[in-house]
Amino acid sequence: MHTEKLQAFTISTIDYGDSDRIVSLFTLEQGRLRAFARGARKSRKRFGAALEPFARIEVQVRIKEGLSGLVQADIHSIYPHIRNDLEKIAHALYACELVDSITAESQPLPRLYRLFAAYLDRLETAPAQEDERRFFEINLLNILGYRPALENCSRCGTSYNTRGAILLEGGELCCGPCAAPGRPLSDATLKNLQACLGTGTFGSIPLQPDVLIQAGALLDDAISAHTGRRLKSLNFLRQVSL
Amino acid sequence: MLTKASSLSRLVGELKKLPGVGERTALRLAFHLLKSPQNLTTLAEALLEVRAKVRTCSTCFAITEDDPCTICSGRRDTGTICVVENSQDLMALERSNAYHGVYHVLEGAISPLAGVGPDALRISELLERIHRGGVNEVVIATNFSVEGEATALYLAKLLKSVNIKVSRLAHGIPLGSDIEFVDAATVQWALQGRNEL
Repeated sequence: MHTEKLQAFTISTIDYGDSDRIVSLFTLEQGRLRAFARGARKSRKRFGAALEPFARIEVQVRIKEGLSGLVQADIHSIYPHIRNDLEKIAHALYACELVDSITAESQPLPRLYRLFAAYLDRLETAPAQEDERRFFEINLLNILGYRPALENCSRCGTSYNTRGAILLEGGELCCGPCAAPGRPLSDATLKNLQACLGTGTFGSIPLQPDVLIQAGALLDDAISAHTGRRLKSLNFLRQVSL
Repeated sequence: MLTKASSLSRLVGELKKLPGVGERTALRLAFHLLKSPQNLTTLAEALLEVRAKVRTCSTCFAITEDDPCTICSGRRDTGTICVVENSQDLMALERSNAYHGVYHVLEGAISPLAGVGPDALRISELLERIHRGGVNEVVIATNFSVEGEATALYLAKLLKSVNIKVSRLAHGIPLGSDIEFVDAATVQWALQGRNEL
């Protein structure tokens, strides 16, 4: 058991007993870890807004196997402009839930941490956009090794060329001859998603409405297949985006 | 001898269900009540009375014994509705003696991570009250957490189409505190919501 200072985002909290909380942190150095925040509910002074979702913080954690102990948390940013905009809140909470449910505990993912930070920084300074959420999702899947087969058929390995691909259940992509009945994905959608992986800059790949629909179907299926459930925050995101 | 089925064990078990009460505290409370039978009777009567009399007001959904509650039926400014998350928040605002309008209790806040959406709250009832007419202002007094902010922004968006003033409680550095001891997040909020003098 040792104490470490970590860069982190608060991604979720669960109340524990009358005065404590269990907080899920996404850290730069250790990946996702769960920490016990003693007295977090009893005293606002102890951790303040540091345990609010998507708060960027620096924490001192007593590392233990299973549940670590949160010693101290200093706020770097609570993203005030996100908190002032309903759609931005919905996008930020969705990103938190996605990272919380798709990453394994105690597995350092510095690239994903930087992508998550860049997405929140982008939300803080620019309007929430559906295509930037999809940009975040495809890059997240890529970093975790869950990227759909965008260039070649996942079954026979042949190139899609310009024929596009067929989307099967679970976010699997196949060429026409290999696929059972499924939804076609245009060449433009595949090219745009590949382009999203070629740059780390949010807002650089605007997606046209038809591409957005197809990419959305692919990414939603792929994410559900890996999280094993539909994310709770998705309903609210859809409600406020209407 | 205290057995699992005894009435004393049952009392300890029930007391343990209360927030902040563990096994030892429950046992201490139970023995304290046993020592003073009069207190035990009074407590039992009070519990039964609460169960029989306390309900929610059909207008504002605050905890009350009368329906409509004393605030809704009293001489208050019915043109101003203050929206709160729960009855405890309503009581805190009443303690201030600074508000003379009526209330609307949402019975929660939007919490997307917990799967609580707007449909789970008393929002449609609030809209009904507004559409009945006579309302000039809605003061949103939800908590200053992400959930409270999301609820406030959602309500503000809904009420945009209705021609009434929508306001939010002010937030920032607490009265009587030194800025050097205030956390960074509160200072960020206070700077963002600064007023011209």
